[in-house]
Parts: sequence; structure tokens; C-alpha cells
Amino acid sequence: MNRNKVYPRYFALGALIIYFVFFFLPGLIGVGYSFTDWSAYSDELHYVGFENFKTVFSSDENYMKIITNTLEFTLITTILKNVIGLVLALLLTKSIRFLNMHRGIVFMPSVLSTLIIGMIFKSILDPKSGLLNSFFRSVGLEMLAKKWLVSSELAFGSVMAVDIWRGVGYIMTILIAGILSISSDYYEAAAIDGAGGWKKFRYITFPLILPTLATTTVLNVIYGLKVFDMVYALTNGGPGKATTEVLYTAVFKKFGTGQYAVGTALSSVMFVIMIFVGIYMIRVMTKNEVVE
Amino acid sequence: MKKKIMVSLLSLSMVMGMLAGCAQGGSTSTAPAAQEEAPAKESKEEEAAPAEETAESGDDVTITFMASQDWIQDAEMELGEKFTEQTGIKVDYQIVPSDQYESLLMTKINAGECTDIFGGQSSQFSIVTQFDVEKNAVDLSGESWAGNVDPAAAVELSAGGKLYGQPIQDVSACWAVAYNISMFDELGLKIPTNYAEFCDVCEKIKAAGIIPIYECVSDGWHHVCWTEAAVAATQADASYPEKLNNNEATFAGNKELTTMFSQLKEMADKGYMGDNYMSNEYADAPASIASGEYAMVLYNQGLGAEVHAADPNFSEDNIGYFVNPLCDNQALNVNYCGPSRFIFSGSKNIDAAKKYLEFMASDESLAYMTENVGKFNQLPYSNAPSAYSEVVQDFYDRYPKKVAVFQASVKYYNPAWMDIGADMSAMFLGEMTPEEVLKDIDKLRAEQAAAASDPAWK
Repeated sequence: MNRNKVYPRYFALGALIIYFVFFFLPGLIGVGYSFTDWSAYSDELHYVGFENFKTVFSSDENYMKIITNTLEFTLITTILKNVIGLVLALLLTKSIRFLNMHRGIVFMPSVLSTLIIGMIFKSILDPKSGLLNSFFRSVGLEMLAKKWLVSSELAFGSVMAVDIWRGVGYIMTILIAGILSISSDYYEAAAIDGAGGWKKFRYITFPLILPTLATTTVLNVIYGLKVFDMVYALTNGGPGKATTEVLYTAVFKKFGTGQYAVGTALSSVMFVIMIFVGIYMIRVMTKNEVVE
Repeated sequence: MKKKIMVSLLSLSMVMGMLAGCAQGGSTSTAPAAQEEAPAKESKEEEAAPAEETAESGDDVTITFMASQDWIQDAEMELGEKFTEQTGIKVDYQIVPSDQYESLLMTKINAGECTDIFGGQSSQFSIVTQFDVEKNAVDLSGESWAGNVDPAAAVELSAGGKLYGQPIQDVSACWAVAYNISMFDELGLKIPTNYAEFCDVCEKIKAAGIIPIYECVSDGWHHVCWTEAAVAATQADASYPEKLNNNEATFAGNKELTTMFSQLKEMADKGYMGDNYMSNEYADAPASIASGEYAMVLYNQGLGAEVHAADPNFSEDNIGYFVNPLCDNQALNVNYCGPSRFIFSGSKNIDAAKKYLEFMASDESLAYMTENVGKFNQLPYSNAPSAYSEVVQDFYDRYPKKVAVFQASVKYYNPAWMDIGADMSAMFLGEMTPEEVLKDIDKLRAEQAAAASDPAWK
């Protein structure tokens, strides 16, 4: 190795300082505040130990349900976005008519504002006059007309479904790029050996797009853990006490009522979860990497 | 070559765009700065100056006004246009869905990035504990219109002897059951005087294929008004609100409140609110009553005009009112609290915002609002006209007893309003019992009290 080709370490100093001051330090201060009684009602700040964390994990509170909701949202949307995105990507890399138009239509929801999508779907999913239920009633499928966003059984599923619809086009586009980068030589060789469509997917496409799938998984997991706007626009955490409440809508509400300390404690819990998820994912992703 | 010319043209247009943007920013930023520098004396002189003179100073100033849905009426926005014509000051109305408003407002206030004017519920308690008006709002005691505000409404907008807000709505109106008079006549129904009679009325309406009550839980706040509308029933002991404020009594265990919440749940379970009460919206109430699909709705005394506006064939006088009969209540609820305008102390356009408030409190503006907003019969200003109809006057005369609502009389109740709404929504879904909702109200109030270091909770 030519040592002269390695840049000096101080080249990274600028980026490190910016990252430390604007990202790391505020995060650290936030964790510090979660051990105080910081609120909008008082200028004084007192150390309260683990009091806010006791509140977060107390059985009298809804916070554990909120944390579970967030993890459930992340898991389900990540899996379904990847699976549906992969199926769409496989379909839209074939020679079909109006290919780019199809790709464009599936991708379009990803470029729309999440809040606008939320508001549109709030109207579409209205149980009385919404487009979806009106359609079911008009074709004689009355029993499928449900209270999508206002029943405790269906609300969370409906929110996840809208989010999957919004995000699947983006994942599909990344996977299309991954599939198109696979050399056609592999498929030709497999065809000569008599491999069918399933075997080509199983032994060529899938293994070769695994790194791309890992990337989409990371993107989905980060998005899922940080989801806010979709839930905020569709249900604002309701119906009821915390049917669709996720961490960031809860933090937003705590800050809204001036209870900053509990809000930062919730964020800190999220921070720890994200660290564990992050470490695990980096390990999985770098498992088969060759170190030069 | 062509490519090079194209790139050069694009770059040139980008640079010009950036310069234009910077120039515009410069002109707008100087306006507020100039206002800040102007001494207080000058601003008083400006108030007295005719509108033509102020028009020049208002150039390039846009004041922002954020409020919850239904707090800013079309008539106010029309007046806003007249205000801009007279002063040159533009008004940017930011209307937020009611279920999201409180969180957004408090986040903006606490972050120090609020709009020039913000809408907030008045209450002598919550304007201090929730908004901290002495820190976050501008003292309006010296304004020309301040002396015209109804003394009872002014109390709910004052802290430390200073007035901090300006009422937006008619606070004489109260939450009562509004009903379709001709429908009641056709079905041979009489105004109920207790809960059992009310259930009978609902059953008969339901049997006629009409949904008895229009309820809208999705807004997050309206269903809480049902409990406020029957608040008198909870106060056999008149000192109950005071005991709540001193932390000597609780909501949990209150027999009347437990009955009231249970009856409300029963009404939903019996189908008196129809199938869609969880997703109905407050804004659709007048149209729903006008359509004849629903017979009653908990509303203030302006529904007649709003239903008439939704359907001109529906007479304004065809809407009557009776008090909410939950818990056999037969008293009017009074609430001098209501949505109000506050000027954010961190605003760079305080003078312009004060001019807007002065404009809205003028004789002409108050008359225009009373004339054009159905539910405004008597705005709480001495210079506002009165427009009570016979039906409304008859309603007020029928119930001589009046009791103040919790929103006005109980500390930390108003800030918890939307959370109480979420709890009640959970009660409708069967996730919480009425007893649990009441227990949670105590908890929510205790959290607010603890954050405010209230000595009664230590």
C-alpha cells in the first residue's frame, strides 16, 4: 500500500467538529435533561434521577404501548415495503408496454408530501362518505365498508397500509437499480442449464440484490422508528388513548404540554433502541464483507 | 457550444434569482426593525392617526395569526382584507385542525417561534399556567378598546391586573342541545327535563328512522362539552370547584360525574349517536341537521343561522334549544372563557398586531361580525350590537339557574381538555371505564400542577 495515498487525519477534523457540535452534543444534552424536571412552567432545573424513566416504564402509563407500537410499525412496514417493493421491481424490469409509465405511477406517492397524503387518505377512508367505503357499497360489498381510521382494531393497520402505499415506490426504484446491475450473462447461462423463472430468482437475482435489500431495510427501519407525519396527519395517535400513538407523536405532545423532561426521557429511550438496532444491522450487513 | 450557452444562461438566471431573493428579504426585514426602534410614544400617536397615514408604514409588513379551526370565521378574513386595504398590513391566517392545535401552539410558544397573534382559550387560570401570558403575551391594558371588553370576559383574560387577550367569540352563548323544532312537532315530542325523558325522545326519533344526535368525536374536543353542559349537576356542593383547586377533592369518586360519563357512554351504545360519531366532524354539523338525517346536536346558540346558511329552505327559527339533561341537569352553564387573540411577546410586528386587534374591536367590525356570523349574538364588548332571536331569548329565559363550567372555574382542567377528549374517545371504544377516565383527569391535572410547582399539590 502506498502510504502517501492516505489523507492526513486532520482532514476529517472539520466534519467531526460539525457533527459533534450539531448532532452529538445536542443528543448528549438531551439525555442529560431527561434526568431533570425541565418544564415550560418553571425556569429552575432540578436533578430528579431516574424519575422520568420510572414514569416512562410505569404500568400506569401508556408509554410501553407507544414503544411497542413504534417497533411494530417499523417491523411490519419494513417487511411489507421490501416484499411488495421486490415483487414490483421484478415485474417492472421485464419487457412490458409503457414500462416507465408504470414505474412512474408506483413511484409517484413517494414524492408527494406525507402530510398531504395523510389528509387525502383521511378523506378516502372516512367511513360514511369516503371513496373506499362508497366504492364497496356501490359494488354490493357493504360488509367490506369498515371504520378504517376510527376503530381500535383497524386504525393502526390502516395507518401502516397508507404508509406502505406511500413508501413502496421508493423501495421499488432502489431494487430496480439493483436488479438492472446484475449481468445478463448469469441469466443466459442459467437458461442454457435449463433453469426456470423461480430458480433464476432464487439462485441469481436474490443473492445478488441482497446488499441492495440490506440498504432498503436500513432506510425502512430508520424511517419506521422516526415516523411522525403520517400518524400525525391520519389519526394524531387516536382513536382512544394511544391506539396509533408512536414515539415521536408522543414526544411532540409532551413538548406541546410543556413537559420537556418526560419528552426527552422518551427520546433517550428511543436513542438506546436505535443504537442497539443500528449495531445489530451494521454487524449483519458487514458479516460477508471482505476486508482488503 | 450550445451546451455551454445553455449552462451559462442557467447559471445567470440562478444568480439573478438569488440576488432577487436577497433583495426581497432585505426589504421585509427592515420593516419590523424600524418598528422596533420606534418609541412607544410614537406608536400611541400612530393609533390616533388616520388610516391613510399608517398605510405607508404598513408596507411589506405581514402579520401571522394562528388559530384553531372554527376560531377564525370567513367574516374575520373578509375584515382582514379591509384592514389590509386601510393599513397596508397583510394578515396571514394559519388555521390548524382543532385536534392538533394545542400541541402545535404550545410547541411554538415554548420554542419561542410563535406567530405574531395566536388564538388561545381564555381562563384566568390556564392563561397563566398554560400560556404564561406574563412572559409570552403582550400587555393590552392600555389599548383603546380594552375598556370596552365585558368585565366578566376581561377577568378570564387578565393576570396580575393586566389584560392580555381580546375575545374572539360570543361568550354569552352556552353549550346546549339544539333540536329541529318541526321534527319534534311532527313526532309529538316535548323538551325533556331529565335523562330518562331524553332517552325516550331519542328512542322515538330513532324509531322514526332518524339519528337522534349528531356527535363528532374526531375533532377531539366537542364530546368533552357534554360534561361541561351538565356541570351544574355536579355541584350540589357549591364549593366543589374550589376544593378541586385546593387539591382537597378529586374527579374520581364523584358520583354525579361518574353517572354523567356512564350516561354518555350509554347514549353511544344505544345508537343515539349513529354509527359514525367517531369520524363525524364538527364543521359538518349544520349541514347534517339541515339534511334531516340528524335531529339534535350539542351546539351554541347560533346553529339556526348556520343551518339556514347550509340550506336556505331551512328556517333559522326552526332550531330550538334545551339544556343538556345528563344527570337530570336543568341549569344553564355559563362560560365567560372562549377563544381569544393574544399577541406573542416575541413578535417583531407587535405594533402592527395591535393595530389589527384595534381594528377588530371597532364598532364597525363588531357589527359586521355579529351580522355575518350566525352564532355571534352578543360579542363581549360594550360597543357590540345585540342580535338575540326570539327562540334564543326564550331559551335563556326558561332556565334561570346558571353555573360556571369547569373550564372557567377549575385549575388545570382546560390544559387537559384534549387529553380528556382522548380518554373519552377510549371510553366510547370500550378501552376505558368512566371511573378510569375520571381517575385520569385527576392524574392529568396533577401532572400540570406538579410542572407548575403548585403549592396545593406538594
